[in-house]
Amino acid sequence: MPTDSSIPNQRVAVTGMGIVSALGIDEDSVWSQLLEGKSGIDQLQSLDTSKLKVSIGAEVPPGLLEDALKTLGRRSVDRALDMAVVASAQALLQAKLISGDGPFDDKDVSVILGTGTGSAQSYNQAYNILFEKGSHNLRPTTVPRCMYNAISAGISLQFRLTGANYVIVSACTSATNAIGTAFRMIRHGYADRVLCGGADGFFDPFSFGAWNNIGALSRIEDPKKACRPFAEDRQGTVLGEGAGAIVLEAYDKAIDRGAAIRAEILGYGESSDAAHITKPSSKGQAKAMQQALKDACIDPSEIALINAHGTATPGNDSCESESIRRIFGHHADRIPVVANKSYFGHTLGASGALETIASVKMIENRKAPPNLNLENPDPACDLNLVKSEPISIDIGPIMKNSFGFGGGNGVLIINPSKV
Amino acid sequence: MTDTSKQETILGQLRGILEESSSVEPDWDSFCPQSTIESLGLDSLTILDLLYDIEEDIGIHLEAKEVLNVSTVGEIIDMLVAKGA
Repeated sequence: MPTDSSIPNQRVAVTGMGIVSALGIDEDSVWSQLLEGKSGIDQLQSLDTSKLKVSIGAEVPPGLLEDALKTLGRRSVDRALDMAVVASAQALLQAKLISGDGPFDDKDVSVILGTGTGSAQSYNQAYNILFEKGSHNLRPTTVPRCMYNAISAGISLQFRLTGANYVIVSACTSATNAIGTAFRMIRHGYADRVLCGGADGFFDPFSFGAWNNIGALSRIEDPKKACRPFAEDRQGTVLGEGAGAIVLEAYDKAIDRGAAIRAEILGYGESSDAAHITKPSSKGQAKAMQQALKDACIDPSEIALINAHGTATPGNDSCESESIRRIFGHHADRIPVVANKSYFGHTLGASGALETIASVKMIENRKAPPNLNLENPDPACDLNLVKSEPISIDIGPIMKNSFGFGGGNGVLIINPSKV
Repeated sequence: MTDTSKQETILGQLRGILEESSSVEPDWDSFCPQSTIESLGLDSLTILDLLYDIEEDIGIHLEAKEVLNVSTVGEIIDMLVAKGA
């Protein structure tokens, strides 16, 4: 954290949240399913998986997204952008930065979103044209559809957000990096309001086929049992599509305009493993956690809960457990640890946003949802893992971890709202 | 085929194309030759996609510079009829 007194150091509030996920597209129904231990993972419906190793994933229930787009006067353009638009509308409405369904006036709000696979659906469509008809027949709008910043650009255009507008691409850390960047922009006075989060939609033949062949996906056939974070018998992760949007705002300015403050971002840390393109490093993860705690000016003992990255891959969960132990020592005996990917699936570049939203719900309700499929915790994951029932949690900050292929690590500290 | 029925056929084809490719959801019940390009959510970029789809589905090539100044669907229909649709 900068110590120069000339650099602003504003508090940063969460004033709006929006979610599109396999558990639904409104936060209350998502939260109730989290508490009930209902997984959004099922047999995939939107693509032919007959020749693939894996046929399960967490898809947004059919019709929900299409209806929500219609309300906004939009048709489907690209899966990730569509989900981001719907989540953003919810977040901006909740923050009272827009009213109704448009048209909208210009607003000085930045939009910083994360994505792992970008406009994957549009790329897949373009590849089909390329191979069937040749490069001279590509659509005139292939570039604006496929560019990675199509997501943030589309949000800026839809809601007329005139602040900064860009996308952060860092695999599964993308959304957490985006939220962290937004947090720093506001804390240090570069922006007053930022719509941040992430979106990823990759249930297309190219993206899902590629993920099938990397060996990181669970081969367990029962969709409800397939994703098993921190379990000894975990086999891999399960992919999910989704988007999460969060309005961050300068705390004092939110108070001045009468906005409801749902939580506060206290700190952010980031690092790179610089060790292996896909294998995580405890050293790198611990560094990001340490930085986040230092940035938030809190001691490890003050953390009320850790919302883990928890992918359910053999490599991640034991490595993350080791990282937590490095930083928290004996406090890790007490601090509850949850993982949300057995509910949402691994939504890659959106996961940090969905799981931050879930973390805010945990703070507000002082409860943590159960860890699914944790009948046999892995002895290598020596943590206070929440079992099969929801638990009450202390009032206090939550640490949200995200780690990605490429070695990027991002960690947020989210605090209850306190005036 | 009479000119009127030809125009109605092309109008139906354009609606089919736009229903697939438009990024907005216009009021299709009032879609007619007098519908403005603006009301369909097309701009100088996305109209290029419309021309792409017209060539794919109707088989007639329209130049972008021919279309950029039109304001209604009827004007596009007239151009297509003039080119032999």
